[in-house]
Parts: sequence; C-alpha cells; structure tokens
Amino acid sequence: MRNRRDIFKFAGGAVAGAFFTPAPWRLLTDTALWSENWPGISRPARGEIRYKFTNCALCPAGCAVRARCVGDQPVSLAGVGGGLCPFGLTAHHLPYHPARLKQGPIQQATAAVSQKAAQLAPGAIAVLDLNPGRTVSWTYRRAMASLKGLYLTPESHPVAYDLSAAKTVLSIGAPLLDGWGTPANVLAARPNFRLIQAEAVESRTAMLADEWIRIAPGTESAFAQSIPSLAYAKDISLVLGDAPEIPEINRQLGAYGKTVFARPEAPVPESWIKNAAAVTELARVPDHSIGLLLIDESTAVSYIPWHQIQRKLVRENPLVVTFAVTRGGYARYTKYALPTAVYPEVLDDIAPAVDCVHPTFRIAVPLVPAPAGVMNPSDFVSALAGLSAANALRERADAVHHTAQGAILTYADAKQTSLKDLSADAFWKSLNDGARWDRPPGLSKWDRPPGLSSSAPAPRIPEPESSADLPLVAIRQPYTPALVSPLMTKIYQESNLRLAPNRVALHPADARASGVSNGARAILQTRIGKCAVEVTVDPAVPPGAVQVGASPGIQDVCGPSSRVKVVSV
Amino acid sequence: MIAENKKTPAARYGMTIDVDRCNGCGSCMVACAVENNVPPAAAAATDRTGLTWIRVFKIDNGAEGTERRSAFVPVLCQHCGKDAPCVSVCPQQAVDVDPATGIVGQMPERCLGCRYCMAACPYHARYFNWWDPTWPAGMEKTLNPDVAPRMRGVVEKCNFCHGRWHAAKAKAVANGNTAIDPADYIPACVEACPSGAIHFGDLNDPATETARSAHLPDSFRMLESLATDPKIYYRSKKNWVREISRAPRPGLGKENSRG
Repeated sequence: MRNRRDIFKFAGGAVAGAFFTPAPWRLLTDTALWSENWPGISRPARGEIRYKFTNCALCPAGCAVRARCVGDQPVSLAGVGGGLCPFGLTAHHLPYHPARLKQGPIQQATAAVSQKAAQLAPGAIAVLDLNPGRTVSWTYRRAMASLKGLYLTPESHPVAYDLSAAKTVLSIGAPLLDGWGTPANVLAARPNFRLIQAEAVESRTAMLADEWIRIAPGTESAFAQSIPSLAYAKDISLVLGDAPEIPEINRQLGAYGKTVFARPEAPVPESWIKNAAAVTELARVPDHSIGLLLIDESTAVSYIPWHQIQRKLVRENPLVVTFAVTRGGYARYTKYALPTAVYPEVLDDIAPAVDCVHPTFRIAVPLVPAPAGVMNPSDFVSALAGLSAANALRERADAVHHTAQGAILTYADAKQTSLKDLSADAFWKSLNDGARWDRPPGLSKWDRPPGLSSSAPAPRIPEPESSADLPLVAIRQPYTPALVSPLMTKIYQESNLRLAPNRVALHPADARASGVSNGARAILQTRIGKCAVEVTVDPAVPPGAVQVGASPGIQDVCGPSSRVKVVSV
Repeated sequence: MIAENKKTPAARYGMTIDVDRCNGCGSCMVACAVENNVPPAAAAATDRTGLTWIRVFKIDNGAEGTERRSAFVPVLCQHCGKDAPCVSVCPQQAVDVDPATGIVGQMPERCLGCRYCMAACPYHARYFNWWDPTWPAGMEKTLNPDVAPRMRGVVEKCNFCHGRWHAAKAKAVANGNTAIDPADYIPACVEACPSGAIHFGDLNDPATETARSAHLPDSFRMLESLATDPKIYYRSKKNWVREISRAPRPGLGKENSRG
C-alpha cells in the first residue's frame, strides 16, 4: 500500500534524477537561443534579388561592377571578369558615411560667385578639375571659354602606358601592383614582362616584383638620372614613377610610340572642341592671379597641397568654392563647401585609365538616389556661364556612336557588339545597363605628349633640404579616395594591414629617438607646417625614413621626399 | 547542422591560397565583412579585439637590412577535419563539422560566449563579439539578407560563406540537380581577390583546380603536425614562407605590429 510519503519520495527522487539526464542541459541551451535573439540588432531587409551592372567611378580604372541588389538597394558589389580593390568593393556604403557632406550654403554660394564673377577681369576665374578627362571636364572647359577663365588640372599632358607591349618595366616607386591601373589589365599583362621595382621600402609592388632595388629614401630623382648608365638600360622598355626626370628618360629609351602614348579620350562633339578653354596645369598659372576658384574634388583622383593652390590666389579677398563629398579636403580652407552626390549616386563617365592606350567610354549609373540637398557641380558651373549641359553625357555618347568605330561589351551577357550594328538609342541604353565601348588601338594616332620636346632641358634635381632639425625623409603612400567605407576599419584599425591615412610608420630606432611608441599620438612637422598623426612602429621601414599616410592633412604639409620630424605629444 | 545527403557523395570544400601572388590589398577582408554582415569596428576595437573572419598577416624572413623580404598570408578558419579542436571543447554543441561539405560551422544562437573554442583553435581564427553590432545610420540597408548579424557575447568565424552554399543548393534543387554547380558556390573572398591568389573547390573532386593545386610540391598546410587535417592549403616557392607551417600564427611575437 503506497502512502503519501512514498509519493513525495518518488517526486523528490524524480527531480533529483532529472539532473542526471540531458533534459535540463538541453533546456539551458534553448534558453540561450531565446536570450540571444536581441531586438536591437539590425535585421537585413528582404526582397527580390536583382543584379545591376555599372562601372566603378572611384578612379580612372573604372572597373566593371556587378551590384547585387535587394529590390533597388545594392547590398554587395563584385567585379566582372576580375576582382575589385577594397575601396571599390565597399563603395555602396559611401552614401551612408557619417562624415559625408550633405548640406551646404548653395544659394549663398551661387549669389557670391555670380557677384564675384561680374567684378573680375578675364583670366581671374578658374575651375580646378581633380578628375580630368570626363564629360563634365569638357563642360568646365566650355564654361571657362565662355567666361574667359582658366581650366586647371594637376597635369596638362597625361600619358597612358601599354604594359602588354613591355618586356622589362622599371618602376621607381610606382604602386604598379597596388591600385596603379586597372587590376585586370595589369594582372593580364604581368606574366609577360619583367618588373624591377626601385623603392626605399618593400612596398606591395616591391614584394611581388622580379627584382627589388632598395634605394635610399629621397633619392628617386638621382636614381632616375642614373638609368641610362645602367648595364641593363637597353633592355628597359618602360620607366614608371613620379620623378620629374622620367618622361625624358622614357624618350631616351624610345618608349614613346611603343609603350608610352598620349592618353586617349573618347570622341567629343566638334562644337565642344571649338569652344573649349585650353587645359592649363595649375603649376603654370602665375602666382596671385586667380580671384574666383571653383574646385571640383567630388571625384578627385589626386590631391594638390593647399599651399600650392593658395599661392595662385589673389592676395585681396579671393573667393574659393569647393564641390566636395566630405569636409576633410579643401573644405577646411574654403568659404563655401557645396555637397555633391557620391558614387554610386551619380551619373558620370569615367576618365581614361593610365594603362589603357585606346579610347574607351564607360559610364557609372546611379544605383541609389542622391539625397536632397546635394548639387551637381556641372550644373553650377554651366549656369554661371549660361551654358546648357544637362544632356552632355548623351551628346558625348552620340558623338562616340557617330564614329561608327569600335565595339561595345555588355557586362550582363559578356557580349561584344560592333557599333555599326547599334542605333544611337540602343548604344545609350547599353551604356546605362553596364557596358564599355572600346576602339581598337590601330585606329588611333599616337604621338609624344606635346609638352615634351626632343630638346627638353635636363631635369633639375631639387636641392636636398637641411637635415639638421628635420632628421627623417618622408615616403608617401599611394593615393586613397577622400571618402572610404566605414568597413575599411578591417584593414586600418582591426588589422593594420594598410597604413591608415592619418598614420605614420617609423623604424623602431627612429621611434625611440623621437620618443614615440606604437599607437601613440604625435605631431608630424615639416618646413611647411605640422599636423597631428598616430604612430605605427614597423621594422620594415628603413631607418631615417617615415612612411606617411595619404590624408589631405598630411599631404598639405608633407610632399614626397620632404624632410620631416615626428614629435611626441 | 546539415544532414548528409545520401544521394550525393560528400564534398570536402577547401581552398588553396598562393602566397606568392597575394599583394595584401585587403579586398578579401572587406568582401568577407560585406558578405557576412560583419560590422565596422567599434571605436575602442584594436587588432586584438576586432572581427576579421579572414585576416591578412604580413610576415618576413627575419633578416635585417637589404636581405629582408616580406609576404602576405591570408588566414581564416582552416576548416579542420572531423577532429576539429573547437568542436570537441564546445559545451553548447554550437560548433560542428558538416559531413556533407566538410565545413566547420558555428551557430551563434547556441554560443554562450565561453571562448573555449578560441583558446582551443591553434590558428587563432575565431573572433569574439565584444560589442553590439552597429552600422552608421542608413548603412543597415546594405546588409546581406542571407546572413543574420550576430549579437554581442558570441564567437564567430569563417563558414565559407554558408549563405552562398544555401543559395547554390537551392538553385541546384530548383534545376532538378542534387549536386551544386561549382560556378554557383564561390566564397566572397575568392570572388573579390584581384590577383587570383585564392582558389576554392571540392578537394574530393580531382577535376577542380583546388584539388590539383593542393597536391603540388609547393603546397603546404599550417601546423600539420597537430593532425587537425585543415582544408586550407597554402602555396609558395619560398622556403622561408613555408616555415609558417610551423608557426602558431604568422608573424606572432614579432615587433612588427602590422597585419
């Protein structure tokens, strides 16, 4: 006969025994499942998956891009027929960057510019284009011709290099394998040429070069001058780099017309050519001559230190307006910074690439709408000159189509169609759906850049600066876009794979001598000025040198091979 | 996690990474973060507390001066064999090796954040979520709908872009196939690599480039002496690079703070 005590004993035993079964432990696991479904975590949007094709507008390489979209929202970008650089892969984040410029005094700037333009004499108005070679560049040239102003660029006679025709390439610090040209083109040509990299540090290109010649920091020009006397000089088919002697050396080596050509542009309407201002290099403009300067840095592919620009401005009350996507560039100095759309919000064409020797025409189409409050620099400048340039891109496409030469490659189906077989509307539609037009090189005329004559004077080697108070020589990193995805923390902060734009890298001995340690804040001081930086200690940096990031703040005070000092704070 | 499909022979997905071709651009790292909804770093995050499912380390030959040479080595979860160290130590059964694919999977919903797996992993390829995942305002619209963001307090790691595997499997099933078309399943890092240094495929299929190159004389795996049977094969013709097969982590202990 069971009594009540037996029932309690059975229940107690069952509870105690349950702890020796998997049941409570499974319950614990499931509790974890419930507790970790947190409502604060972002939930990805769902919808129909679509693919769109475009061209990357971050640099002239203009890589073909396939955008995976949920509805109309791009969620990832990938290359077509090759990979993309980390900046291009994350470009769909740029519209949401916290540092992005979204508001600006557009009306006040318009009024101030109109008033200033009416007061100034011819030649005192200028547009500085930091991504020349686009259709909007022609709009600027036409506007400046109308206003009797100047169209300024960092260089007036850009060249293109044919790596596929080179057998031996000598690169003096050029980042050939690290964002220099179109990655797919460079990699396709790479197995067929021998690469010699002359550089003070073992850069990414030096690592993968066939030979790395370690030169002393700041001796790039001296090395370039010694090239004709090198034992293997006759084998060199192309010299690359920023040293001012290199164009003349390429001429001596007979590279022009074989591996170096004037950079070709896609055809433009005849009426544009007749009514366009000449291309003027900023450095050739007389000092203190510009009263009104409009700077287009919205898609800048290079940066000119501010002091070089400032020197060209009149002393009394100059007006400078910049079209920018962030306040980090010239907006720090100008009276008006006007916000612009950013790739992938813009409809724009891509400037010719440095490694493409035949004319191409590619456009970047908007994948997301631009926010209210941003403006189009082309509209601003053309309105100032009373031009109508709203359909300039279509007019350019029609001019390309009118040549009936070359073929268009559509990315969606990898199909190549001769231009003769397409109507102008079909050509325009193909360009907007993701395509590139190429004209075979045989149809172009090649020549040396007009700025380089056969009797060019011997290049001048800059006088070395005193090293008494500035003991280090700067080595600059390759250019990086003004605005990069927040996800670039993966390679700047969470791994230090690349030198962040606001950092400098020193050899441990130099770091000790400067009194700075890894991760410390410091001041980078040069003859021109100083700026705040963070320090990375790296034994791969040669003693006596400092690798500097590519932020505008650092570039403003520190050019290549500048003498610098790092001071602890 | 995934039941073995009896109609299809089990795959053994793996990678070959040609160190001699890697230029350390970092495309693989950001492509991985985009694909798997890995958030940008918190302000206080460092190279020790960040989330990088694949991470490119800079190594060197240890020489000084003109003899010094460097290389970049991408390191991700090595997807060990059935005796993966992280699987056996997990008290929550949050880690498993999928018998159908050989992929070592991580279930963050089960993870309690004890980090035993991080301690057990000889490749240091596991990462802990020290902060809530947050994205700048508006950027959450760019999240991949195929991958759920993970919460603070759990461990995460490379899973060979399992969302892509599911999509490829679904496509194969929709087409009436049981096997995945290799062209449909390519992890984000492989797709993104501009220098073509990373190849991915079924190591059990001798027709794949991955299986072929895994057995070339210049191929090696990390810490093979531990018998973890990793499925990531590295390639290099440089002997000093091949030395990393004996190191716990490339560049560990060096003064060089990069990578």
